[in-house]
Amino acid sequence: MSAAIAVSGLVKTFGPTRALDGLDLEVTTGEVHGFLGPNGSGKSTTIRVLLGLLRPDSGAVRLLDGDPWRDAVALHRRLAYVPGDVTLWPQITGGEAIDLLGRLRGGLDPARRAELLERFDLDPTKKARSYSKGNRQKVALVAALASDVELLILDEPTSGLDPLMEAVFQEYIREVRAAGRTVLLSSHILAEAEALCDRVSIIRHGRTVQTGSLDQMRHLTRTSISVETARPVTGLDGLPGVHDVAARDGRLRFDVDSDRLDDVLRHLTVFGVRSLRSAPPTLEELFLRHYGDELAEDGVPVPALGRP
Amino acid sequence: MNTLALEGTGTLVRFALRRDRIRLPVWVVVGAALVAEQSAGSQAIYDTPAALAAYRATVGTSAAAIAFAGPPVGLTTVAGTVAFEISASVMIVAALMAMFTTGRHSRADEEAGRTELIRSTEVGRHAPLVAAVVVSGLGCLAMALAIGAVGALTGLPVSGAFLLGAAVGACGLVFTGVTAVAAQLSESTRAAYGITGAVLGVAFLLRAVGDINGSALIWASPIGWAQAVHPFSDNRWWPLLLCVAAAGALLTVAVGLLDHRDLGAGLVSGRPGAPAAGPLLASPLGLAVRLQRAALLAWAFSLVVLGAVYGSMGDAVESLFKDNPAAQAFLPGASAAGLIEGYLATIFSIDALLAAAFAVSSVLRAHAEESAGRVEPVLATATSRSAWLRSHVTVAFLGSALLVVASGAATALVRAASSGDSGSFGRLFGASLAYVPAVWALAGVAVAAVGLVPRAAAAVAWAMIGYAVVVAVFAPGLNWPDWLGDLSPFAWTPLVPVESWTLPAAAGLAVAVAALLAVGFGAFGRRDLSTG
Repeated sequence: MSAAIAVSGLVKTFGPTRALDGLDLEVTTGEVHGFLGPNGSGKSTTIRVLLGLLRPDSGAVRLLDGDPWRDAVALHRRLAYVPGDVTLWPQITGGEAIDLLGRLRGGLDPARRAELLERFDLDPTKKARSYSKGNRQKVALVAALASDVELLILDEPTSGLDPLMEAVFQEYIREVRAAGRTVLLSSHILAEAEALCDRVSIIRHGRTVQTGSLDQMRHLTRTSISVETARPVTGLDGLPGVHDVAARDGRLRFDVDSDRLDDVLRHLTVFGVRSLRSAPPTLEELFLRHYGDELAEDGVPVPALGRP
Repeated sequence: MNTLALEGTGTLVRFALRRDRIRLPVWVVVGAALVAEQSAGSQAIYDTPAALAAYRATVGTSAAAIAFAGPPVGLTTVAGTVAFEISASVMIVAALMAMFTTGRHSRADEEAGRTELIRSTEVGRHAPLVAAVVVSGLGCLAMALAIGAVGALTGLPVSGAFLLGAAVGACGLVFTGVTAVAAQLSESTRAAYGITGAVLGVAFLLRAVGDINGSALIWASPIGWAQAVHPFSDNRWWPLLLCVAAAGALLTVAVGLLDHRDLGAGLVSGRPGAPAAGPLLASPLGLAVRLQRAALLAWAFSLVVLGAVYGSMGDAVESLFKDNPAAQAFLPGASAAGLIEGYLATIFSIDALLAAAFAVSSVLRAHAEESAGRVEPVLATATSRSAWLRSHVTVAFLGSALLVVASGAATALVRAASSGDSGSFGRLFGASLAYVPAVWALAGVAVAAVGLVPRAAAAVAWAMIGYAVVVAVFAPGLNWPDWLGDLSPFAWTPLVPVESWTLPAAAGLAVAVAALLAVGFGAFGRRDLSTG
């Protein structure tokens, strides 16, 4: 598998602000890659560098085996982009904007355009002036999805969509992946990333803090266990890899390092397990783990997930 | 109108004054400064009866001067010349202040969705519009008092100075009313400004024709009413009643229209547009043409009308000269034919300055697209930066050339028809083309600024236009060193048809244009986009 996007050590500063501080990102051809981070962490800046709109200060950036700054025009024929905040020309209709962007990219499929307009429930005869945020977003999505391109770069593409449209969007992304195309999906809607992404990269302050598949990430962290036993459990605190043991309402709750799960379960069966719930960490918990200190500074309780 | 419809007006007025605490004083200061500068300057220059007589003789014969200034009355006193010279300019400043202030607090807020938030609170239906009108009216009042004060302080008769100020403020009031109505008609602020600007242009033209012919046409124009007060000579107050009555009537109409439309809608509601793009929208140039088409057509229409009107005034130049023995004595070498040529050269350079204003606004459209984030989706397609910038620059260059050609042709055609000298058409039309390189040079400055200093591009480009206007219109009266005036591309352009066209001047400007474009495109290709 070759890399559709390969970024290493990317640095971009705006005056005194270091927006990207040695960011790494590798997106394999054919995968849906989640690009996660809160507002201001550098997602959009990275995407603008990938599109050749901003010039990197240092670091290596390859996009579809080209240089995004030098080969911008040739590369852009092979990709489609949906910005996070879509601004359109007030006096131009949605249908016209879709056609314009499609033609500038090298043409779009009229049948697919019609289908997308139908599925996304978008009126193409309205001038952009009267579109809501969600409808402007749909214009950019239809233009991107109706193009026959190898790579989709989507910057928070669903931030203005309702849940019904979100479902339509997810269906199309699965279709895109099935067709073997690559998607870079920047998002802070973690449920969306969890539902769609093969692999994710979590970034913070312009730097990649974790990257990999969700399974890999979960393996590196702890599982939450809630158990009810016939007899009181003893000796749990002494086991390696067990953290934050607490008893409440006759149930015992604790976290366990994922690679110690087997030992802990063997220990528990001795006490007569009546019911057991095991929850792998959600992406949200994985994500918050990297931002726990910031939340703590703001006085927000940090989820009970230890640091690796 | 029930009283609850005005609920909250006072709060909105205070809020609007807070938002405009810089803008409004700047407008007022600009208006007062124009009067102060003119007052001090005229008193220094026309300090002897002989100088004043000479001025009266030349200005009395100059249709161009009358067209741009106003009725040639009261020129027996220095104060009268001040009113003659400056009233039209400062009235336009007041009208623009009124337009931008009223529009900003009515339709612009509504278009941006802010009015919706405001109206969800305990605020009546009429309150936002009435507050905008009140704030604009306060601006007009402040400008009237400031002009009266600076006039009196610089030594003009007090009553005349305040009458001049009142006339300027009254003119502003009328355009407050015009904008209030225009803001009800269209959904877009831009269109509302377009309607008001068109009314201002027509008003100016009607009074220009009326003043030159000495006809009653001036009574069809609010600027004509305001200038009919004749400060420092007749000192008439009653024409101001016309302004106030018109402003009141327009406000009543605006409120009536407001009662018959939904929030956010215009009276002219938007029709559904095209569901798919036509063949034009297939390239960056097609997009630029589409975005600028309406503006270009409006400019072309205005300049053709202006060109035709000014072309038709050639005869008036002749008769003004013949009927004025003092002028013939003062300008012994002058002939009527020579005066007409001089008049036409002035007209052509004014048309060219207007075309340059279009060219600059057209180049700056590229920067507006960039800072609004609309260029990002386009440059994320297979469109290169230079192709994108080139599209707007092409519209600016070809569009401004079209404006020069169209207005020049209109002037030449009407002049040839009215003089019966059909052979003069080609000569005069050709003369107007001599100004194209200077127009392009000013557009080139805007391109270089967009590339090099995007944040300051608008300021740099408009300052250059302002400088060129000052050099072209006022420089003869200013004791500047020559090099200061020579920085204007219009200073390099021979005043055709009075002077003859020269190749070196045109070639020099062409080289400057090429260099400015190279700088602009080079810098734009290398820098970050200023988005978000």
